[in-house]
Amino acid sequence: MIKNKSVRILAIAPLSRGLGYAVMERSDKLVACGNKAILRDKNAKALAWVNRFIQFYQPDVLVLPNVTAADTRRAARIKALHRKIVAWAGKKKVKVRLVSVTQVRTQLLGEPKATKFAVAKTLAEKFPVEVGKRLPPKRRPWMSEDPRMDIFDAVGLAFAFWPSDK
Amino acid sequence: MKSLSNYLQSQRKRLSLSQEEVGFLLGIRGMNKSAKVCRDEKFAREPSLLDALSYEVIYGRPIRELFAGLYEQAGQDVAARAKFLGFRKLRKPDVRKQETIIQLAAKAGVNSSKQ
Repeated sequence: MIKNKSVRILAIAPLSRGLGYAVMERSDKLVACGNKAILRDKNAKALAWVNRFIQFYQPDVLVLPNVTAADTRRAARIKALHRKIVAWAGKKKVKVRLVSVTQVRTQLLGEPKATKFAVAKTLAEKFPVEVGKRLPPKRRPWMSEDPRMDIFDAVGLAFAFWPSDK
Repeated sequence: MKSLSNYLQSQRKRLSLSQEEVGFLLGIRGMNKSAKVCRDEKFAREPSLLDALSYEVIYGRPIRELFAGLYEQAGQDVAARAKFLGFRKLRKPDVRKQETIIQLAAKAGVNSSKQ
C-alpha cells in the first residue's frame, strides 16, 4: 500500500526483443513510455538502458515483473537480466516492487485469465492520448507478436503498481 | 518527489507533434530545428525566456507546469534568499516589506513539505 502517493515510478518490462518502459507520477499521469529493441549482447545493453532511464527520470520506485511467480514463465536470459536490474537498483538506492501478470490483469479487468490484447486495449482506452495510437492489431495465430506490445506490458506494470480506486 | 526538470516531451507527444515541427513553431532556423528541441527535452539546455513563452503558447500549459522542476528549484532558492533578507536590519521599519519577506521565506517550508 502506498502511503505517500507523490512518487514517480519507472516500470521496466524486459522481453525477448528488448525492453518496454513506462514512467508514471500518478495512476492517471503517464509521463513517458516506449520500447527499446536490442539486437546483440542483450543483457548488457538492456542494463545500460535501464541505468540511463534511472538517471534521466530519477524514479522513487522501480517496478518489475515478478519472474519467479507461479503464473510466469521466462527465459533464463531474462531471469538473469531481472536479477541484474534488481541488484543495480539496489546499488542506486531505488526501491524495487515486483508485480505479477495476474495482478495486472486483475487490477485492470477484474479477471486473472484475461488475454494480453484485452489488457492492452483497456490501457489504450485509459490512456488514449499517450498510447491509444500505439495499440497493434489483434494477433492472429500465424503472426508474431507486435513489438509495440512491449509498451503495453510496461504500462500495465506501472498501472498495477497503484492501488485501485474501487 | 522532486518534479522532472521539464515535461516538454510528454506535452509534445500529447499533441502528436514532432520535434522538427515544434522547432519550426519556435522559429528556429536552419537544418537542425529538432536538435534544439531535443536538447530542451533532455534537460541539456535551459531555453530562453522567449522560447519558454513560445512553449507555453504551443502546448497551452503554464510555464510553471511545463518546467515544474525548474520552478520548484527557483521557489526554493528565492525562499532561502528571503530568509537571509529577513535577518537584515532595516533603517526604516516597513510593515509591507516585512510581510512580503516573511511570506516568501515561508514558501520554503511549503515547497519542501509538498515533496
